[in-house]
Amino acid sequence: METQLAERLVSGLKQAGIDLVTYLPETRLSQILPLLRDDSAFTLIPVASESEAVTIGAGAALTGKQVAIYIECTGLYVSCYTLVSIARRYGVPLLLIVGYLGSMADQRNNNVYAVSGAYIEPLLQALQVQFQVLETGDGLESHIQDAVREMHALKLPVALLFSGDFTR
Amino acid sequence: MIRYDCLKLLAPRITDQLVVTSLSGQKIEWASLSQHPGNLLVGTMGTALGVGIGLAIGLPERKVIVLESDGSVLLSLFNLPTLANLAPKNLIVFVFDNEVYSGTKISEPTATAGKTDLTMMARGAGIEQAVTVRDLAAFEREMNAALSGAEMKFIACKIEESVTHREITRTDLDPLENKYQFVRYLERTEGKAIFRGRG
Repeated sequence: METQLAERLVSGLKQAGIDLVTYLPETRLSQILPLLRDDSAFTLIPVASESEAVTIGAGAALTGKQVAIYIECTGLYVSCYTLVSIARRYGVPLLLIVGYLGSMADQRNNNVYAVSGAYIEPLLQALQVQFQVLETGDGLESHIQDAVREMHALKLPVALLFSGDFTR
Repeated sequence: MIRYDCLKLLAPRITDQLVVTSLSGQKIEWASLSQHPGNLLVGTMGTALGVGIGLAIGLPERKVIVLESDGSVLLSLFNLPTLANLAPKNLIVFVFDNEVYSGTKISEPTATAGKTDLTMMARGAGIEQAVTVRDLAAFEREMNAALSGAEMKFIACKIEESVTHREITRTDLDPLENKYQFVRYLERTEGKAIFRGRG
């Protein structure tokens, strides 16, 4: 991902009020991590599993933190249980920032990722998680604002899947 | 030592602390002993500790108590290194280790009935102050120290299996009702809005 796109993504999160990010690093969007770390507006929480990215994020959200969860799309498989048993069951607003590896527009797609990527959208539909796929920086800040508004309106997790230019 | 006796010692000590419960027996027992609005009766396996860590990070001036079980911690062992490295000073974790999956009704053993020691695992993950208690006096001593202290505590409580919870009427508190009760309590006592968005 180009540096400018990473900066806009982080700036967009900040403008939307996100102030705490749980994360397990991945390959496509990782340039956002040093930017998040260097900005005192964010509390950055490294985790060992996407499953606890959700539980820790949910706990923080229940105290008033505006929480984003930054993970690779394969982490959605890992976190299905906690997305359902905590985030969905309790109704907790969380913004999922997902590196969409293995999607058709993933510019580094290969046989390691393609199968995993193929089930992500049906999985989110099954989980009843509203999502949007972003492939360019057009309107990026607005898309983040929209997703944050949606997660607060629903009081549920909402996902932004980053593919295309974000995966270069 | 049985869990219910430990919880009977803890319940009267709750003032403004937040309490997160794990599943089945301890959720049922705690809900019968305490109807405090700062209770979050999570009740699913492998999730209470993570939620408690998040609460403790979100409200660093507030004491957060997590009531966990052996089976639940074993399901989410990745919590241990994360907890060790975050080490929120306001978090107390009690793990009630009865060495069985009690909910199975056939007392199927957990790994702690065999070679596994949760305190040693916690220490290995970096939670150096993790301790084991094996009787009520030791539980009370560690509980008092944890409640009055300013450090994260991880206390594995070796207990006998008990079926006390099967004789207790289960709470009918719905998860959404529990969430709003909890959040509104925090809004009142912390003096801030938690959820955004209004109709």
